[in-house]
Amino acid sequence: MKRLTRAALALAATLSLGQALGVTRGGQMVYGRYADSQFLDPVLNDSNLDIWILTNLYDTLLQPTADGKRVQPGLASRYVVSKDGLTMTLTLRPNIKFADGSPITSADVKWNLDRARNPDNGAWNNLIESIASVAASGNTVTITLKHPDPVLPSALAAFNTAIMPQKLFDAAPGKNDAEKAKAFAEKPIGSGPFVLSEWKRGSYMVLKRNPYYWKKGEDGKALPYLDTLRFEILPDDNTRILKLQAGELQGAEFIPLSRVAELKANPKLNMMLFPSTQVNQIAMNTRPKLKDGTANPLTDVRVRQALNYAVNRPALIQLVTFGNGKPMKSLMSSATPLFDKGQKGYTYDLDKAKALLAAAGFKNGFDVTTMATSGSANDLTLTTALQQMWGAVGVRLKIEQIDSATKVARRTAGDFQMNTGGWTDDLADPSEVTGYFATKGETDAAHTGFSDPTIEKLFPQSQREIDKTKRAAIYKQIQTIYSNAAPIIFLYETPYPVALAKNVKGFYQIPLGYNVFEKTSIEK
Amino acid sequence: MHTSYILRRLLQIIPLFLAVMVLVFVLVHLIPGDPVSAILGDRATPERVARANRQLGLDKPLIVQFGLFVNQLLHGNLGESINLKVPVLRLMLDRLPITLFLDVYAAVLGVLMAVPLAVLAAVRRNTWVDGVIRAVFQVGLSLPVFYVGLQLLTLLGARLGWFPIGGYGVTFGDHLYHLFLPALTLGLNLAAVLVRTLRNSVIEVLTAEYVDFARAKGLRSRVIMTRHVLRNALIATVTLLGLNIGGLIGGAVITETVFAIPGVGKLMVDAIFGRDYPVVQGLTLTFAVLVSLVFLATDLIHARLDPRAELS
Repeated sequence: MKRLTRAALALAATLSLGQALGVTRGGQMVYGRYADSQFLDPVLNDSNLDIWILTNLYDTLLQPTADGKRVQPGLASRYVVSKDGLTMTLTLRPNIKFADGSPITSADVKWNLDRARNPDNGAWNNLIESIASVAASGNTVTITLKHPDPVLPSALAAFNTAIMPQKLFDAAPGKNDAEKAKAFAEKPIGSGPFVLSEWKRGSYMVLKRNPYYWKKGEDGKALPYLDTLRFEILPDDNTRILKLQAGELQGAEFIPLSRVAELKANPKLNMMLFPSTQVNQIAMNTRPKLKDGTANPLTDVRVRQALNYAVNRPALIQLVTFGNGKPMKSLMSSATPLFDKGQKGYTYDLDKAKALLAAAGFKNGFDVTTMATSGSANDLTLTTALQQMWGAVGVRLKIEQIDSATKVARRTAGDFQMNTGGWTDDLADPSEVTGYFATKGETDAAHTGFSDPTIEKLFPQSQREIDKTKRAAIYKQIQTIYSNAAPIIFLYETPYPVALAKNVKGFYQIPLGYNVFEKTSIEK
Repeated sequence: MHTSYILRRLLQIIPLFLAVMVLVFVLVHLIPGDPVSAILGDRATPERVARANRQLGLDKPLIVQFGLFVNQLLHGNLGESINLKVPVLRLMLDRLPITLFLDVYAAVLGVLMAVPLAVLAAVRRNTWVDGVIRAVFQVGLSLPVFYVGLQLLTLLGARLGWFPIGGYGVTFGDHLYHLFLPALTLGLNLAAVLVRTLRNSVIEVLTAEYVDFARAKGLRSRVIMTRHVLRNALIATVTLLGLNIGGLIGGAVITETVFAIPGVGKLMVDAIFGRDYPVVQGLTLTFAVLVSLVFLATDLIHARLDPRAELS
């Protein structure tokens, strides 16, 4: 009897342990996206619509960690950087295969890296412009650098250095790389957890599990857990939510922040707010004269600081993000590596704002115009709220609602005074966001015309500094200078809102936006 | 039957086609913003923009671009989408049938609702029945399409679960089932327009002498209604229906967005926002031809119903 009890207990324990470890394999997940992908080539793609799902189809040598702050091994099981920082040696995992079963060789890697760094290809080649040459031998890839590059590991974990099979790409019809890419991207073969099986543009995309995927799940067998992943394209927010509530979807992205509270209260759903690198700001034209020749008050740093002090961020966060955001305290999000926790950001201080405006000679305020994206409810709420807040210090804000293509064109031409905008990092590194917002670079500090001599000196240094502590110190300094100079109105950080059915486990979106489905399962 | 007339009308489409072609090309290129900055967005450096423009041939003078566009058209090629990197023709062949299906479906539902109700309202004119029918459709006419669509979705789709929310299915039966709510949404709007006109014409015809005469002959009222009244009352309505179907082709945009139907309406909006010139041009030209054809068909049916109408 006693023995029997013990056996039963042991059996029960084993079973419950099995359950704890067990994860349901198979099945299909239907996921509602707000828009379809455009072009599934890692090098020539252009938008987040592609970037955020490319990693499900293609693998990279390294991968960003789930917190988006560091890198971990990918197709390469390890990498070593030489002491002088001029050589990186990567070792490929043994016996890795593309989704068609053919082996991934170091020659494939060399070809992909050479393609990705070719300035004639796409918009992202500058992420790895430090590469001088790539050599392949056996399962080793050796990268020689023009200069030490602390960003390289992150770049090798980003979509544009994904590895494709050279043989299949070359076999695609077309005269040149661009044409072959078009043909190949119709039915791409990579080595990511999934492989594209059907794509009806603007309607749906079906991904099937890649039987050759190298990563193992909790049960020791190959990932992914799902058999099929189906993306339904549902541009209307309400439709996505209705379909989710009706059980026709198991997940839906871009839930409007106004509906987060409602969906949180729904017992059938898990309303997720994934940490993101998303920041929302208003860029200011800092040039002394506007395009039409009139004087620009925003050229005075005191005016820009005053406007920042006159923003009631907690109120904005309630109004625009329905309490789902937090104040932006640096030019980069708090989820970006080397974000300086010591940054204070701007507090709400009307007296300080008034004093600064008076000192700048605008005691009675001035007129200023901002561009806002037409049709965007967020932009409208945001700018009308700012209208009131700045009205308190005598600044009269005019709102120009413009469609986004025109907005981009006017911003590039420097033909604006203020411009609403958002940003998400693509790299697990602060260099991308800093290069864009804080340096003259090629974009003229996010088209604001802002330039600071110290930052211009510090930034190139940071791009070659491989000592982590020293690099962090440089970034701390850049963030402080930038905050004081305030070429932008610092607004708020927002998360990625994704609603999932209760039985969906293991899905996550990393702060860089990538949607990770490799460990997603649907529990019975 | 009027072959020369039809031929003439078809030939008239050619100059229209040319005019639309020039107009669309000029207009699309005149709006500020270009595909490259629309695609590259936030991170576009002037250097990258220039390179992309060169690759897409957008750095050439407008007149050269127009020449290339016309040359392509003459070869039966509508070009390739800049954003999606797929031939425009293929995108259209994929999506146009869906929109056409939806529009025809909506027209059928609209007519099925409008005709009996309009006749009923006319026969019972100035009674409460007439009042209710007119009031309901008046409200229907003033409610925005997206609102009606969302309400139908919420009630019949999400709450009662009778219809799927969005999508359009695979087989013909599937299409009928999936597209019922969106077609009903559009159909209600169409019916609202039709009921008013049709009711008035039915009343007008009912008071005509030949109807009195038919009654005097002792014909049954059902026969009078179908053979004499409706046939004459429908003339104005057919024209109106034709005009509205023309509008539906371009106007399905909102319905397609709300119901997630991958038709040309949604494609057009995306293309305009993305400044995807080839897609905008190709779609506009196709719309122009389609609408001309619908108008031609309307005129022919009109002539059939009303022998007095001269096709000249």
